[in-house]
Amino acid sequence: MSIEEQIKDIVAEIVRVDKGIIRREGTFKDINADSLDVVQVLLRTEETFDIEIPDEDAEQFQNFGDFVDYVEHHVAEKEKA
Amino acid sequence: MNQPFKGKLSLVTGGGRGIGKAIALKLASQGSDVIINFFRHRDTAEKTAKEIQDIGVKAKIIRANVGDPAKIDEMFDVISNDFGYLDILISNAASGVGRPVLDVDVKAWDWTMDINARALLLCAQRAARLMEGRSGKIVSISSLGSFLVWPTYAAVGVSKAALEALTRYLAIELAPKGICVNAIAASAVLTDALKFYIKGQEAAHQQATPAGRMVTPEDIANVVFFLCSEDAFMIRGQTIIIDGGASVMAPFVSTPGGVNQ
Ligand SMILES: NC(=O)c1ccc[n+]([C@@H]2O[C@H](COP(=O)([O-])OP(=O)(O)OC[C@H]3O[C@@H](n4cnc5c(N)ncnc54)[C@H](OP(=O)(O)O)[C@@H]3O)[C@@H](O)[C@H]2O)c1
Repeated sequence: MSIEEQIKDIVAEIVRVDKGIIRREGTFKDINADSLDVVQVLLRTEETFDIEIPDEDAEQFQNFGDFVDYVEHHVAEKEKA
Repeated sequence: MNQPFKGKLSLVTGGGRGIGKAIALKLASQGSDVIINFFRHRDTAEKTAKEIQDIGVKAKIIRANVGDPAKIDEMFDVISNDFGYLDILISNAASGVGRPVLDVDVKAWDWTMDINARALLLCAQRAARLMEGRSGKIVSISSLGSFLVWPTYAAVGVSKAALEALTRYLAIELAPKGICVNAIAASAVLTDALKFYIKGQEAAHQQATPAGRMVTPEDIANVVFFLCSEDAFMIRGQTIIIDGGASVMAPFVSTPGGVNQ
């Protein structure tokens, strides 16, 4: 499964929404996620991919697309190392 | 320089910034090596560690979500392997969901209780073993919200009440191991984060405090230092209130400092 699909699964499970409504241009606000949901999505993502997403970085995400790109980039970096 | 804590090792949870940072710096200034636990802000924790090293003691940062028992275990495994002992545990990290009590759902409740209250239980259990024969000290940071009601503070307030109750149980049950356990409950503390939130209301906060100014992170750090010193040996299971007198004022009474509302 692609990283994007895995992230969508995480978001869908934690925010309890249908996976289909999560789009790259969408935001957490669009799917009514509260701040606790966001923290938990970040935590689960960190654990799933064994990367670290500091708040300073997470605050820069404009939408899910940015989030997915960030994770893909860091997973690739990790595999290179 | 007089360094009463020379050779000691302290762990400060959430020690990278705010009150935890002030505590970490104070313990370091007294000669203690310091482990800074952090969660979401690695950069800040690294900077604090650097400031501690500049004082001339050892500093180490460990990332761990103290709301997660497995992560607490991993953190203590590192401390066990790298040092094998611990003298001072400061349970300072806290998080919480600010909601009216009717909106506190199970997720928000568990999140808050796990980080603010259960973390002390699990950290103290592991710390007690590392403190064997070292007259250990445990201090937790609570808040007046454990017994006063602030808007949207229900989940955190209850978690702080649990923290204070646990402090009493730990104090008694760890006393035979020579470990002193106490807590500190603070009113609003002027951290950088709080400065941002109360912009424009500083005067009102000041006026509601008989001591004439707001509590600073350094005020907390000074009392932590005292509680961790041998001078405080006979203080056990107490929650020391640091609020400049605010909580003992009757409401709606004029004070030399102003009106308490
Ligand atoms: N400020 C006040 O007015 C006030 C008043 C009374 C009592 N207190 C108490 O004093 C303590 C410190 O408060 P503060 O205002 O300095 O804190 P803060 O600015 O809210 O920062 C919270 C600290 O806790 C850490 N933290 C949060 N969740 C964590 C987790 N799950 N695992 C590990 N660390 C975690 C944070 O680390 P990262 O940044 O790395 O995530 C940060 O260092 C808390 O117990 C608080 O309840 C504060």
